[in-house]
Amino acid sequence: MTPSPLAQVITVASYEIRKYIRGRRLLGILILVGLILALFIGLPPALSIPYASTPNAFVSTFATFTGLLVVLSGVLFAADALVSEHEKRTGYFLFPNPVRREVLVLGKIAASLIVSAAVISLYYGGAALAALAITHSLTWDVGLSYVYALAYMLAVVGVAYLVSATFKSTVAATVLTFFLFTLIFSIVGAILPAAKIDPWFIPTSASGIITNVLGRAEVRPGPGGGASVGFVPDPATSLLVFLAYAIVGGVLAILWFRRRELSS
Amino acid sequence: MQSQKGAKSVANGVPVNLEGLGKEYGHFTALKSLNLTVPAGTSLGFLGPNGAGKSTTIKIMTNLIRPSRGHATLFGIDVRQEPTRALAHIGAVIETPEFYGYLSPLETLAYAGRLRGMSSKEIEHRSEAVLKEVKLNEWADHRIQEFSKGMKQRVAIAQALLHEPELLVLDEPTSGLDPRGMAEVRDVIKALKGEGRTIFMSSHLLGEVQEVCDDVALLNHGELLIHGSVRDLSRGSDTSTFQTSFLRPPTPQDLEALAAVPGIVEIKNEGDSTIDLRISGGEEGQARVLEAMVSRGLKVITYRPLGSSLEQLYLDRIQESDRL
Repeated sequence: MTPSPLAQVITVASYEIRKYIRGRRLLGILILVGLILALFIGLPPALSIPYASTPNAFVSTFATFTGLLVVLSGVLFAADALVSEHEKRTGYFLFPNPVRREVLVLGKIAASLIVSAAVISLYYGGAALAALAITHSLTWDVGLSYVYALAYMLAVVGVAYLVSATFKSTVAATVLTFFLFTLIFSIVGAILPAAKIDPWFIPTSASGIITNVLGRAEVRPGPGGGASVGFVPDPATSLLVFLAYAIVGGVLAILWFRRRELSS
Repeated sequence: MQSQKGAKSVANGVPVNLEGLGKEYGHFTALKSLNLTVPAGTSLGFLGPNGAGKSTTIKIMTNLIRPSRGHATLFGIDVRQEPTRALAHIGAVIETPEFYGYLSPLETLAYAGRLRGMSSKEIEHRSEAVLKEVKLNEWADHRIQEFSKGMKQRVAIAQALLHEPELLVLDEPTSGLDPRGMAEVRDVIKALKGEGRTIFMSSHLLGEVQEVCDDVALLNHGELLIHGSVRDLSRGSDTSTFQTSFLRPPTPQDLEALAAVPGIVEIKNEGDSTIDLRISGGEEGQARVLEAMVSRGLKVITYRPLGSSLEQLYLDRIQESDRL
């Protein structure tokens, strides 16, 4: 008997996670997380600069890089997940098995989310531990910022899968996903207010809630996120925006991947 | 065993039934309207030159591409409508697949086995057996990224055999293998055929098809040219080419006289003392030509068929189809 779709999703996800664990990408991003944490914790005393006195202020320094970390996770653990089955011809092994394409996509999405969430959790965990050690306290706002980061991650992964399902080259899919979130969305989000349009629907602008919740409303456009000066994203709206990008991206990725033929 | 249970549930359906199958890529017609049935226990050689439509057919059968028209059913189940059920009872090797380099053959087989619902015990037992069968047991724990093309082809065959499928769909199964590897794979296929499994195998190698298959289907320009048993088709071929060597080179007058012998269709001079004679009339014709040469005083050293009669039939039909 062919197993249930859920059992197949779990199988696909477990093998995808194994791929990330054995590959160099996870190691690379973990080194990056360690480096960022080390720089934020180690540099101030080395330069005789005092640490922030409150946990929110302390963690907000880390949170400014969360957007970039989320985008990097999406790029490394999602952008080539589907396109590589075609380009690297592994689909010739995988697709003739009795498994629906949507099951494959869902399994891969699950793996991307788990690995990306692990990276972000590690980053926030490190930042929270440092805040606790240095300021001797923590607030719920730090947890909320973490939740917002995870919600932003859903949007990034959803869009990354849509790009991955439609492109023919892993390099093109990876580069486009990266620049979409580090440049294109940020530029659009920065220009829209000039036309008196609030960029609430632009995911990078909406990602301002990750730092704003820690008391930094003066969000700057920057790598991987941030809204233009003058626009303060609303958390509830932003969460809905993230959810919409995640669902629309994921559903379109499934539909596209189902229709796509392995003919090369 | 899951596949044996499955075999019972699909026993009533014909393993392969292709009805009016067609495929267009833009303005290019890869497959016109293919009708083909492969009964249970048959091993079919699917022949044709590059671009004939063989891989297109196999890709439609394994749900890698959609047909523009027609239906492909496996064991009575439409591949497009119920791909999961249709693919549950087949094992496939399509082109030379790539595998996940970070996995070993054992892990790759476990992945395929889990997707097919095999238990851990079954996977362990069958993986050991199929890796031994394809002579990869010593590499079972090595990562596939270290493997050559031939070794990957062996992994591909192993994963196709893992669940003991009732139908094996093989697209150029010996591609990338060295002569010894090719012979080993042919032995594996023959053993499976002996077990009564149905085999649908595309190949460029006519000798391979003759050795392994009962039936043959010849495709060119997306059209089925011939379908029948290898034995009947081999017998049915009217012309064959014989390479003939003489002790002394034949004179132009000898060649002129030979050309007039009934049954000689064409004479090709291959060197001083060797000619290729294309002869019609089957075995009778071949005997008549040999007799004529001897009675003319030509000292024949060798008189041997070039390629099989199936090969001649293949070439004749392909040439005929190309002319149309």
